[in-house]
Amino acid sequence: MVIVLSVIAMISAGILAQVYSITSVIIEENQARALESSVFQVLPGTTKVNIIRRSADELGVDDPKEMREQEQTTSLIYEGVDDADRVIGYAFVGEGNGYGGSVRVLVGVEEASDEILNVKVLEHTETPGLGSKIEDESFRKQFVGKKVEDPLKLGQDIDSISGATVSSRAVTEAVRQGFDDATAIYRGGK
Amino acid sequence: MASLWKDFVRGLWEENPTFRILIGLCPTLAVTTSAINGMSMGLATAFVLICSSALISLLKRLIPDKVRIPAYIIVIATFVTIVDLFMNAYLPELHQVLGLFIPLIVVNCIVLGRAEAFASKNTVIASVFDGLGMGLGFTWALTLLGSIREILGAGSVFGYRLLPEGATTFGIMSLPPGGFITLGILIAVMNMIANRQKAS
Repeated sequence: MVIVLSVIAMISAGILAQVYSITSVIIEENQARALESSVFQVLPGTTKVNIIRRSADELGVDDPKEMREQEQTTSLIYEGVDDADRVIGYAFVGEGNGYGGSVRVLVGVEEASDEILNVKVLEHTETPGLGSKIEDESFRKQFVGKKVEDPLKLGQDIDSISGATVSSRAVTEAVRQGFDDATAIYRGGK
Repeated sequence: MASLWKDFVRGLWEENPTFRILIGLCPTLAVTTSAINGMSMGLATAFVLICSSALISLLKRLIPDKVRIPAYIIVIATFVTIVDLFMNAYLPELHQVLGLFIPLIVVNCIVLGRAEAFASKNTVIASVFDGLGMGLGFTWALTLLGSIREILGAGSVFGYRLLPEGATTFGIMSLPPGGFITLGILIAVMNMIANRQKAS
């Protein structure tokens, strides 16, 4: 009885380890490519993406766990470069709390004007048909042309989607927070 | 051959898991917010169902009666994890939408139910046909449910817009209550058809 169950569990573990080792490479590649193509979308004209990382001491935290958490949010900045090696702009990830979980957005900012070029929702678990309208062009285009000095606040310069206030606020907060952090890193680092 | 055909069609209508037996309703209500979600969830479940039914039927003599449930669960969980990983690798967009509900196929009572009620007592081939029928029965039920909810809730079906942009849609149909309402009405309709069939 015990033996049969152990054998079944062992075979299962062996198969899964094999499948995982094959797929994990592809999964990681997919994620990297998905993010890169998102950068192309928010920074039109970009042909190459450079990743700007901050080192540990720049982040100002010693704890490796805390550092990793910070790295996952906005410490990564993607710099979009065109064919002639001119910097078109930079893109960063912002995160806000929505109705069904966290909402992650990618924001592209033009280098020359410091204005937002485009906003893309990377990940959300909002209600389909209601909160999922944060992906719609009509909502996202409100952010275009905004600068870091603008209030970027729901009800002031950003109109909420009716029936999806929490989701709209999540996106607005994600852009705001990402913009602040990224500006500090990008401008501060120069 | 005739009995294999019977094993196959049983799941499609007479013992349709969703509309006739009413099992596996948790994913049914949760993922059918759109037609494509319903269909992919159905197909993923069908794949797991066919594979696990075949393997369990193959192993039925080897597995001692006392530990059959844990053994079935391990077999099912293995196939579910394989589906989850492959979907994440090759269909990342779909995986993002279904995300949480794929691992939950493990505890879908259709899969365990067929293993216990059918695969553990029948031949491998009969179990495959039974799994195929049940799986496709689940798939069409979920696709129908998802289509109705998507049309009423978002004005589109399989992502194609049916109603013009800005037309009044019922947001509630995309929410959990819409799932219950749609399922209730569909079951009533199915019962009506079944009663007519019986009467004639």
